[in-house]
Amino acid sequence: MSDLKSKILPKLWRFDLKTIFLMAFFLLLFLLGIFAFLVEQKYGLLVTGMRTIGLGGSAWGVYIVFDIYFVGISFAGIVTSALIRLFNLKILKPLARMAELLAVISLLISTFCIFADVGRPLHALVYLPLFARPMSPFFGDFTLIAGAYFFASAIYLWLAGRSDAAYCASQNLPFRWFYKIWACGYKGTAAEQTRHYKTSFWMALAILPLLVTAHSTLGFIFGIQGGRPGWFSDLQAPEFVVMAGVSGVGMLIIIAAILRKWLGLEEEIKLEAFKWLGNFLWVLTATYIYFMIIDDLTSFYASPKIDTLVALRTLFGPYGGLYWTTVSSLFAAFGILFLQFAFNKWSIGLTVIAGFLVNVAAILKRFIIIVPSQVFGTLLPYPQGFYKPTWVEISIIIGTGAFGIFLYVLFLKIFPIVPLEEITIEKEKILEPGPRSFFRKLAFSSVFLTGILICVITFLSSARFGTKPYLDPIIPFSPLLFIVGIFITFFSAAVYEIVPSVKKSDL
Amino acid sequence: MSKFKNQIILLVRQWFLSEDLSLDGQLTRRGLVKILGLIFFLLAPILMLPKIAFGRKKIKKKKKKFTGEPPGPTPKWGMVIDLDKCTGCGGCVAACMAENNIPISRDGELYFGTQIYWMELLDPQQKVGPELKQAGLIPLPCMQCEDPPCVKVCPVGATMIDEEGIVAQIYDRCIGCRFCMQACPYSRRYFNWAEPYWPETYKNYINPNVSLRPRGVVEKCSFCFQRIRNVREIAELLNQPIKDEQVQRLPACAEVCPARAITFGDLNNPESLVSKLSQSPRAFQLLHAEGTKPKVTYLTKTTGGLSRNE
Ligand code: SF4
Ligand code: SF4
Repeated sequence: MSDLKSKILPKLWRFDLKTIFLMAFFLLLFLLGIFAFLVEQKYGLLVTGMRTIGLGGSAWGVYIVFDIYFVGISFAGIVTSALIRLFNLKILKPLARMAELLAVISLLISTFCIFADVGRPLHALVYLPLFARPMSPFFGDFTLIAGAYFFASAIYLWLAGRSDAAYCASQNLPFRWFYKIWACGYKGTAAEQTRHYKTSFWMALAILPLLVTAHSTLGFIFGIQGGRPGWFSDLQAPEFVVMAGVSGVGMLIIIAAILRKWLGLEEEIKLEAFKWLGNFLWVLTATYIYFMIIDDLTSFYASPKIDTLVALRTLFGPYGGLYWTTVSSLFAAFGILFLQFAFNKWSIGLTVIAGFLVNVAAILKRFIIIVPSQVFGTLLPYPQGFYKPTWVEISIIIGTGAFGIFLYVLFLKIFPIVPLEEITIEKEKILEPGPRSFFRKLAFSSVFLTGILICVITFLSSARFGTKPYLDPIIPFSPLLFIVGIFITFFSAAVYEIVPSVKKSDL
Repeated sequence: MSKFKNQIILLVRQWFLSEDLSLDGQLTRRGLVKILGLIFFLLAPILMLPKIAFGRKKIKKKKKKFTGEPPGPTPKWGMVIDLDKCTGCGGCVAACMAENNIPISRDGELYFGTQIYWMELLDPQQKVGPELKQAGLIPLPCMQCEDPPCVKVCPVGATMIDEEGIVAQIYDRCIGCRFCMQACPYSRRYFNWAEPYWPETYKNYINPNVSLRPRGVVEKCSFCFQRIRNVREIAELLNQPIKDEQVQRLPACAEVCPARAITFGDLNNPESLVSKLSQSPRAFQLLHAEGTKPKVTYLTKTTGGLSRNE
């Protein structure tokens, strides 16, 4: 048994007092969130701090802020694992599963925020799958993020974890069937490893554009609203992509550092990994700071009066404190990382502080984008107001986050968080060709093409090109089928990996 | 067996015919009608079978297929509000509330910002927000934009342009995401933050022609669509086109305005009063530069450069 295995395996399913206490704590917070949600369902959104725009209120508040924040941190998961695959970054490999898990869980909890936000969650549950229209930027949030992005990360997590699942199934652990199902007959042959290498490479290639699209659609929610001064900007979409990267990488640094300490993984997760992430983070932070400065300059220099007004109130009005905290956190994080880079002296503690700072900045910056444009940014002279979240909103957000952490800790206890087997694969071994199989090719291409076909047909059906765009989808449940199509498309990767080799002559 | 049969006949006689038999056991006319009725009642479903099987198609054919295009010549319902005539009395706001079953706002800090006004009087003199060079109050309905951003953003198509060209709100479908509130440059959309409320006495005055909105949906001015539909139905019955005089004061706000500042009508008809007024040199549209093509036009002498655009 290798060193890593002896570190990780004995800790699985071992719920010591500390873990139980931790999980119970987060579960309690989650229950608080549920309670607040029930209160909200009973009395309506009246119990939140949100109010009508034009009567001095803000119609969107912290729910949307955190929806975007949670989707944002999922960025790190996908990007890190994609980069590892594409550029064979060995140093980051121990972080791959942490990152993928981060993506899956944060996408899951981001949907909670949406449900807390809408006025009629049950109607949303039925009408979005039934009627969602691509004309609305929410379509992207609903299909690309809740659907495509989530499934892609989940399939990634699953496929990359098969080898470890197979290993766990061979060990003396409870719930062996769970590992067996996960492993799906993985034996660890060279052919299987080659196939996994191939699929993860292609999936990484496919996911990167999807990621940019998904985060851009989030930016579009704000960027294409001509009627909201402060929102309407071409920079909104790229800014959202970069900010997602900033917060996501920051969060990954924090998680990696915590787990390194907790599980005693000092040898596996080396300082180099933090160095790499730190460098990535300062580049992203610098890009974001650049965007932010341009944005602010534009809104002060000869722009429409109302834009300047909103910008002024954002900087020096009641939300000024938040704005300057954001700016100083970003600069501080950048400074910490850049100085470490310049003098090539890295400390994990400082890097974690930078990761924490950028996450604070990410939350506050979203707030600064979303709220002032509503309370100050009416184009007609309506009274202006102020928005601050109530205990209900805060509890729901805390509950959501706590649920995410709970799931993360639970996963730590049932599955190796650091890839056990994969690290041992050598590049030479990977390139060994597996036996070709006609049957597998057939299965893979038919699943892939079916997925694409469903996507195209259902997208056209819901978009209704050529007719009035507000009409309902031609095929009922087109938006849902679109997500199913995306799922099938990504699932083809799994088909390719799992279908055993059957030669044409065997058939 | 025959005993059993007799029993049944007896039972039926007792139940159905007891009073319908004359003393000598002959059927009365009433009894006969009853029996025939019973037979017909039993046979009717069988007789109707072909109707049920084949008649459906006919019914379907008759149903107008909704294509999103208005039937016949497209009206373009529009409104002109003469700010020089407006006295700021607030009659339009009250009339709108009564006509459209707008819930009464409750007191208390909790309810601040939850009020609903489909028609509102905007005070341009407020020292906050963008300036508008206009001395008096401005009545603000939904602008019923021709290119409405609110319709574009709705994820489920709960707000759409209906056959009459009106930006309609389908309350039942709205999921309450409030995206449309963000998109409307005029901030003319209102969300039901709380359960709609009317004091007990008001409940008798609910207008049966306008649906009540549940908590959690967005609502806004509909140009008194129920009244337009009424006029349209009468016109169709009489087989006459809708006359301009019929609709000039059609919406509740226009009807009650003591200064006759609000005029309603078909902008596609060059002869209508509303078309002529909207050509006036005093005419301007709010936030014209937003490009939403509002169908509400304002008239004022005091228009400076500012109020035409921002
Ligand atoms: S005024 Fe606002 S609510 Fe009315 S149609 Fe225009 S965008 Fe929509
Ligand atoms: S609040 Fe209702 S009408 Fe408005 S965008 Fe959302 S679903 Fe559509």
